[in-house]
Amino acid sequence: MKKLSAASKAYLVFVFVILYAPILYLIFYSFNSGGTMNSFESFTWEHYAAVFEDSRLIVILLNTVIVALLSGLIATIIGTLGAIGIVSLKDKKMRNTLLSLNNILIVSPDVVIGASFLILFTMIGVKLGFASVLVSHVAFSVPIVVLMVLPKLLEMNTSLIDAARDLGATKRDVLLRVILPYISPGIFAGFFMALTYSLDDFAVTFFVTGNGFSTLSVEIYSMARAGISLTVNAISGLVFAVTLLIVIGYYFINKRSKSATTEGQR
Amino acid sequence: MRDLLQATIAIIIVCALLFVAVNQMESSGSSGSKDSLTIYNWGEYIDPELIGKFEEETGIKVTYETFDSNEAMMTKIEQGGSAYDVAVPSEYTIESMKEKDLLIPIDHALVPNLQYIHEDFLDLAFDKGNEYSIPYFWGTVGIVYNPNLIADHLTFESWEDLWDPSLKEKVFLVDSSREVIGMGLNSIRQSLNVKDDVLLREATDKLISLTPNIKAVIGDEITPLMVNNEAAVALTWSGQAADMLWENEELDFATPYEGSNIFFDNMIIPKTSKNVEGAHKFINFMLDPENAAQNADYVGYSSPNFAAWELMDEEVIGDERFYPSNEQRDTLEVYENLGLEWLGKYNEYFLEFKMSLK
Repeated sequence: MKKLSAASKAYLVFVFVILYAPILYLIFYSFNSGGTMNSFESFTWEHYAAVFEDSRLIVILLNTVIVALLSGLIATIIGTLGAIGIVSLKDKKMRNTLLSLNNILIVSPDVVIGASFLILFTMIGVKLGFASVLVSHVAFSVPIVVLMVLPKLLEMNTSLIDAARDLGATKRDVLLRVILPYISPGIFAGFFMALTYSLDDFAVTFFVTGNGFSTLSVEIYSMARAGISLTVNAISGLVFAVTLLIVIGYYFINKRSKSATTEGQR
Repeated sequence: MRDLLQATIAIIIVCALLFVAVNQMESSGSSGSKDSLTIYNWGEYIDPELIGKFEEETGIKVTYETFDSNEAMMTKIEQGGSAYDVAVPSEYTIESMKEKDLLIPIDHALVPNLQYIHEDFLDLAFDKGNEYSIPYFWGTVGIVYNPNLIADHLTFESWEDLWDPSLKEKVFLVDSSREVIGMGLNSIRQSLNVKDDVLLREATDKLISLTPNIKAVIGDEITPLMVNNEAAVALTWSGQAADMLWENEELDFATPYEGSNIFFDNMIIPKTSKNVEGAHKFINFMLDPENAAQNADYVGYSSPNFAAWELMDEEVIGDERFYPSNEQRDTLEVYENLGLEWLGKYNEYFLEFKMSLK
């Protein structure tokens, strides 16, 4: 690999500092016994203990994770099939229309989506709670997954499919053994995007929570009115640590399976 | 393909496990009873221990939800979809909720602890006879200041101190038309609820003469600014000021003698309630002097419960900044519902004032 020049290195460091400094600052103060973010007094675990003592907060945290994982999964399935469907359309006009409709959903503001869902749910009599949050999270994640999977599908060489057909593969075989494995990096990327979107969405979720079901973003927002307490820092620290672990875990699994495949080829 | 399938199964298993964990945690607390209650309150506005105590005493399982503004809360209740049994809006919201027929009358026979509420907080204009609402916390509008950052002679016992030339570009105001126009009206010794163009004009002109001293008109961001010694003077609510004082002992709070606003947050039972009896039990529970005292200790707002005052720290109750004396309380005024037309005019004058800032 070509060596980076000093200027680009400095720029890279600068970007990463801007990205990570606020998070590290927040986590640093979650260990502060002083009770505020003004000055660091001494090290303590008490804010983390407070998070674990507050069973309501833990339930909300777990709910947030459940909604994120499930909505991510469902949206990935729908979005992947949708992307395949869009690409396989012969009619160019139709294809472009569908893609534009998909993009409109991505750029439309969350408040609009949230308010529309609230009106829809109350109109058809759906009780606000887990189901309503899950459905709306799936809804705003699907267009993102479509967008992440699409490039992979487009870069795929169609002769791969033709070759598979020539060798006697059925439609099902083509989908399961050729297309899906080829686009799986896109699918994973789509899933992780959906996951993060769901984890940090406030605007849509705010409208559709109810009946005791709440997610972390909504809860932290109403806590913030009384000034952010260090419990919020602690819980953010926990979420960040778990995310970090997942990313590291994903990296190692990827690496292992890659080296396994290259060894198998030898 | 295999890794896709593996990942899917892994996600489903993790979700199932988390689901079981959540169910376990939610059902622990309740002693197997089907009786439940949903409380809708401001963020950080109750001592969590009290919820546990209430569940233990009555066997009713409490679901606790929070909101961050009167308007958001009212929208949720109006839309239905969620069965809230008790909510805690401010007085002007109670008036509009009454108008929209969103409330269930409170059966006073079921809340005997109402006797502990000081008479000053009962039978107020926004809800005569406390037909629909029961006091929860109250507070005033006043000035929080940092004595280290301003001249010594300023004590803010009078609104006039805000106009002091030494405060050039040091004053923060909350971005709320009733509070700011109200301050203008108070400073010319008028009622907060005047419906008179001449007086409103005069108050606005008085406010415009304050512009050299104003640094910004902002919202809740005032709290960290004051706490971190980055701002000197701010117009704000006593409850918010109590939070600031708790975190930064150098700060001080004053409610000027010319008069100011007094606000009340009250417990109500929305039309969506599915457990009206339980809601009454909860309201009565919160009015119990011991519980009220514990809650006031935790939250930091002023309690309307005189029996609780006796159980609380002398230093807190004796603090006239947050528990004003009777004479001072006489100068304080409750916001009345102005009606759409006059509310619009207040907003217009407030806008005019804000536009004069540059």
